[in-house]
Amino acid sequence: MPSQPTTLLQGTLDLLILKSLATGELHGLGISRRIQQITGGTFVVKPGSLFPALHRMEEEGWTSAFWGDSDNNRRAKYYRLTKAGRRQLDAASKRWGRISWAIAQALEAS
Amino acid sequence: MPFVAKTRSFLRNLFSNGRVEQDLDMEVRSHLQLLIDENIRAGMSLQEAQRRARMELGAEQVKQQVREQRLGDSLHSWIADFRFGSRQLYKNPGFTLTVVLTLALSVGANTAIFSLVNALVLKSLPYPHAERMGTIYTRITGSHPSDERYDVDGEKWELLRDNVPALISAVASGVSGVNLKAGSHVQYVRNGRVSAHYLDVLGLQPFLGRGFSEEEDRPHGPKAAILSYGLWRSAFGADPDILGQAILLKGEPHTIIGVLPQGAITPSNADMFTPLQPSREGEGGGTNFDVITRLREGSTWQEADAQINRAWAIRSQRFEKTNPGAQVTYHSVSLQKGETDSLRPQTLALMLSAGFILLIACANLAGLTLVRMLRRTSEVATRLAIGASNWQIQRQFWIENVLLALLGGVVAIGMGFLALRGLFLLLPEHFLPVASVPLDGRVMVFTLGVSLLTSVLFGMLPALATRRVDLRSSLAGRAVAHAGSLRVRQSLIIGEVALTVMLLAGSGLLIRSLVHLETLPPGFNPSGVMVAKASLDDVRYHDPTNFRKLLEESTAAMRQIPGVQNAAVGLTLPYERAVNDWITLSDGKEAGHQDGADLFYVTPRYFDTLQMPLLAGRVFTDADGPDAQRVAIVNQSFARKFYGGGNPVGRYINRDTIIVGEVADVPVASGLEPVAPLMSEQAMYIPAAQVNAQFLSIVHVWVQPDWLVRTAGPVEGLTGEMQRALASADPNLPASGFYSMRDLLARTLATQRIEVALLGALAALALVLSAVGIFALVANMVAQRTREIGIRMALGSSLGQVMIQISRSGIYASILGVVLGLALSAGALRVMTSVIYGVGVYDVTTILVVLLTISAVTLLATTVPTLRIASIDPARTLREE
Repeated sequence: MPSQPTTLLQGTLDLLILKSLATGELHGLGISRRIQQITGGTFVVKPGSLFPALHRMEEEGWTSAFWGDSDNNRRAKYYRLTKAGRRQLDAASKRWGRISWAIAQALEAS
Repeated sequence: MPFVAKTRSFLRNLFSNGRVEQDLDMEVRSHLQLLIDENIRAGMSLQEAQRRARMELGAEQVKQQVREQRLGDSLHSWIADFRFGSRQLYKNPGFTLTVVLTLALSVGANTAIFSLVNALVLKSLPYPHAERMGTIYTRITGSHPSDERYDVDGEKWELLRDNVPALISAVASGVSGVNLKAGSHVQYVRNGRVSAHYLDVLGLQPFLGRGFSEEEDRPHGPKAAILSYGLWRSAFGADPDILGQAILLKGEPHTIIGVLPQGAITPSNADMFTPLQPSREGEGGGTNFDVITRLREGSTWQEADAQINRAWAIRSQRFEKTNPGAQVTYHSVSLQKGETDSLRPQTLALMLSAGFILLIACANLAGLTLVRMLRRTSEVATRLAIGASNWQIQRQFWIENVLLALLGGVVAIGMGFLALRGLFLLLPEHFLPVASVPLDGRVMVFTLGVSLLTSVLFGMLPALATRRVDLRSSLAGRAVAHAGSLRVRQSLIIGEVALTVMLLAGSGLLIRSLVHLETLPPGFNPSGVMVAKASLDDVRYHDPTNFRKLLEESTAAMRQIPGVQNAAVGLTLPYERAVNDWITLSDGKEAGHQDGADLFYVTPRYFDTLQMPLLAGRVFTDADGPDAQRVAIVNQSFARKFYGGGNPVGRYINRDTIIVGEVADVPVASGLEPVAPLMSEQAMYIPAAQVNAQFLSIVHVWVQPDWLVRTAGPVEGLTGEMQRALASADPNLPASGFYSMRDLLARTLATQRIEVALLGALAALALVLSAVGIFALVANMVAQRTREIGIRMALGSSLGQVMIQISRSGIYASILGVVLGLALSAGALRVMTSVIYGVGVYDVTTILVVLLTISAVTLLATTVPTLRIASIDPARTLREE
């Protein structure tokens, strides 16, 4: 393992996955690599966490999935955000903003 | 719509599982491929790329993790476990069949017995607001405390009827056979005599007409009758204008005033009812009335009890005066309890025995499942290794147990039904105080509950055993012989053999006492006697002249039947319950002594017909007529009890009656001081020709006389001939039944026979189950130790030595079980003292038979499985390793 992966807060993984899909459809590995990229390598999402989350989110109706071809012509299952998924991303981003602000406040207070 | 999406996913997960799984598989595969591609791009060799990708992905675990968070996953895995469980059971038909059969037999026995308990003790009485119905208990404190239901006499009844406004009360006086003339046809029916308000207490609305009025219930009141629905249909063709019609009953016209509704159930189960007309005289002079009560609207039981105690104060005071130190109070008890209290000890004992059977079955099944579980150790280890949790393993086993329990429970209900049917074939008519013993919802719930409980009990032990499965040693290969599990199984066998010994000893004692009762010295010759009973509860036969004429003509006609050697009439016969009366000794130093005795009236040839030995004096002759000197014959017990064994002939009793003879004792169903169901007690015989009118009018209400004939051999159509002979003396006198002396004996000992049948069946079941248990233990030993046996034999052990070596485990367990069982029996069987006769609780014969039976069964159960050892080829078993 390149770096000690930070333990993800409950709900954080969902938020990261939603965020990674905000710019367009991705397959599982793509999502994993994208999260790694946008968090500057802080979060490495392992398949054991990624796939259960993906399937749960699909069941929640936040994402929809379809089979397509990858860059190097491999069949892969792609995920994209649904309307409900975008709403969820919005709501979760706002909530996360409030929480991180509050935590920062708490830590600054002495 | 998230909700719609969720529902869709849920249904898809549940019903299109194959597609969902395939999709997941493809996705994981493609992920792996993408990872490999990525690794190759990063410059790895193909092999290295594949290895790293596999390490990162862990495909099966990922798939399992996805599955676990799917909607409806838990339901899904339950279904999968059930499927797997059923497949396991289906693949092991021997095991499944044994378990299901064991459950079916043991739970089925419990079902049958519980449905009896349910019908007798638990089911509420079939009347509206049965909780407001009661009866009255008398509580006596002091040196001989008791709390029981007593019948009341006329005085108590009048006090209760007139002074307790909180209750509607009614009394009844049993059921007796009477002759009913409907049209030209005379038939024998069962008539219940009940007071006014009887139907009100039961809460029964007549289908036609009304219940008895207080006017009709007065002594010498108008003669009225109420018909059951069944009798109204069968004897009167469901005539809608029946009310007000007169029928000839007991030789007198009675007016029909009511018909009960269809299916109406009365405590007495009679075909019809007549008013009791209770008074303080005659029948009401003794305690012959059975009280039932119903609490009136707006009253409480406390008020009712206070009123009862006030109303009966003179009676309790009278009792306390004659029994110093005793205190008497009366209290109401629910009719349910009052009706069933006397049956409670027997039903509880039966439930307990049935519980023993269940425990034995549990022990067997625990042993079986333990073995099966140990055989599956490697399966368990494999499942644990590929990631199953302990809970998942346990759940799998429990699901299999529950499946077995349900299967067994269903078969058990069928078994219980068959057992009940068998039991009813044994029971005489009107033996149980309930109309039917249904397999109702409560019985079903009980049966399934017991099956599940059993499965929990027998599943517990093996489940605990698998919690200690050691991954490494189990995966390494064959299961090692489990010394610990053998110990456990032996203890189970010890337990079940001990319980079996107790049941065998108990039923042995019952069998011994039944044999004792059935082989009591009869004091007469019971073979070749045929008996006809007929009701003389008829106003025409209150007249001694008519009565005498009937007896003379009918016995004369019976003596004409070809093959009949002798004929007589008597009230009553040996083995039957006799009428009790007070007698007074009138001479000598015993003069004035009063005591109870059985009273028989007999025609002169009664003793000859029964071939009852005459010990002193003479038997009756035709000269002992109504106007002659009053004479009596007494039995040996009478002479012993009242004259110290001296010759009673020539002594006087009841002022003017002289004893002219002494005969041998015969066993009767005692009514005086019953210490056994069949015994000899002091008895007095008087000539039927000397019976007075008052006695005739009372006694035939309760008891039917017997016409008896003696034949040398079987006589074709004898009963028909006897009926014709009876009809030649009185065409309106149908016989109520025909019996051999054996039938009468069986009727009196019905309770004992049923006890023997029930406990005997349970004991036999216990024996079979124990034998199966021992057999399974030894058979399993043989299977487990095939290799060891092979080595022993290769080293020169003889077949016999090995067989003994192996069967020892079963024999030791059985011996210890017998010892434990005998020790337990020594304490437990003492409770049987009150139901065994002519045999002690510590009966050597019984114990010996029990020991022999268990030894034989143990020997059989341990030898049969070891016979397989003979076919073991040492060379082959050794090569197998």
